Amino acid sequence: MLITVSGEKKEYAEGLTVTELIAQEKVEMLEYVTVSLNEEFLQRENFDNQKLNDGDVVEFLYFMGGGK
Amino acid sequence: MNFNTELLHGSAVSHYSQKEILPPISQVSAFKYDSMEELEKVFAHKAMGYAYTRIGNPTLTAFENRMKSLECGANAVSCSSGMSAITLSLLALCNSGDEIIVGKGLYGGTINLFHDLEKFGIHTVFANDMTAEGIKPLISDKTRAIFGELISNPALNILDVRGVAKAANEAGVPLIVDSTTATPFIARPIELGANIVIHSTSKYINGGGNSIGGIIIDGGNFAWDFDKHTSISEFRKYGKMAFSIRLRTDIWENFGCCMSPVNAFLNYIGLDTLGLRMERICANADALAHALNEIDGIEVNYLSLPHHKFHGYFESMLNGLGGGILTFRAGSKGKAFRIINSLKCAMIASNIGDLRTLVIHPASTLYAHTPKEEMEAAGVYDDTIRVSVGIEDVNDLINDFKTAIQESKGE
Repeated sequence: MLITVSGEKKEYAEGLTVTELIAQEKVEMLEYVTVSLNEEFLQRENFDNQKLNDGDVVEFLYFMGGGK
Repeated sequence: MNFNTELLHGSAVSHYSQKEILPPISQVSAFKYDSMEELEKVFAHKAMGYAYTRIGNPTLTAFENRMKSLECGANAVSCSSGMSAITLSLLALCNSGDEIIVGKGLYGGTINLFHDLEKFGIHTVFANDMTAEGIKPLISDKTRAIFGELISNPALNILDVRGVAKAANEAGVPLIVDSTTATPFIARPIELGANIVIHSTSKYINGGGNSIGGIIIDGGNFAWDFDKHTSISEFRKYGKMAFSIRLRTDIWENFGCCMSPVNAFLNYIGLDTLGLRMERICANADALAHALNEIDGIEVNYLSLPHHKFHGYFESMLNGLGGGILTFRAGSKGKAFRIINSLKCAMIASNIGDLRTLVIHPASTLYAHTPKEEMEAAGVYDDTIRVSVGIEDVNDLINDFKTAIQESKGE
């Protein structure tokens, strides 16, 4: 399935969870990251169970840098 | 892990880039990048990084992360002072025309702030009783937050966090708890149902009396109604984190009330001994309160005393710990001054939460500009002495106060 991660479209295995995507993408400073799925914020406790679907858009956001 | 072990070795103690045990002090204004593309990503929140210390700094992050963990929160924002933390949290939630409900008996500076907010159109409704029954009749369609001190300073009134949080949340209103005098060693308001926790970190968090600071911790546990809380509706996509994301990227950033990196470091190392200090401070305060309570003519206000009106919460919410503040009434202002002036171990200073025992006459200082009715509602009378108990050897403290009281009788 095709998922857009941080603006880049990539092929991923079916049934991938957010936790697995984070590991696969080697997301840095995990304790500070905020994850949005299709522009909706995800609660951290749902990362393990949240499965991704074809066409999803995922952003890893950090709020230390500034700007609204 | 238990409190002290978790504090020293838990997941919130990050691994820093050069394997430092403590976070380095990033005493810089700005951070440099190799390309504009990288900095653009940082500004767009799409890459981990910092741009400018007013809007983020690694030392601040280290301290915020530790506080977030200690208070079981989802996000934390450090501020230049406890007063700025209260101000920013309310400004993030309220527009002109909105109301907040607050408990009586608060710290004088906070009461003064609420008077200031009136000039910006934010109206304060004072609750006599910070219980579910006390606040329910005061909630209106304009209420945007309920604010109270868990253990109020210096009245030592208790906010019934469980009851008020439930009633507030059922009415679509978040509960903000100033937990400065309790600290997470005594109680964790978010675990009890509160939504936002504030500390003046200048006090027990820092512990050494060496830097001013504050922090706001968002529990991430409130289901915002964005038609009601319109001040954060622009941030609705962040769901339960809308408050803290607005706070960090908007109000906090634009008001410029950041903590300095050095102060964040001092607060961080202060936290290391929070458990040890609070254990000792609470034991000292308990012993001093009981000793003073035996003196004729001295009326002591401390939570562990069985006659205290909030003694029930002492066991049920405060884990049998009464905190570090006690007050007592000396009989007259003159006598209060004479007692204070005679003390040898306790310092006359306008602060709480220091390692050293500090005393003050609140009516002539902290409440000098507060209307008498509000001052007395805060448990402050013309003859009240506030004691912020430190970690000294308790027998020295007890002897010091007993001697000062005895000497004041003879004059």
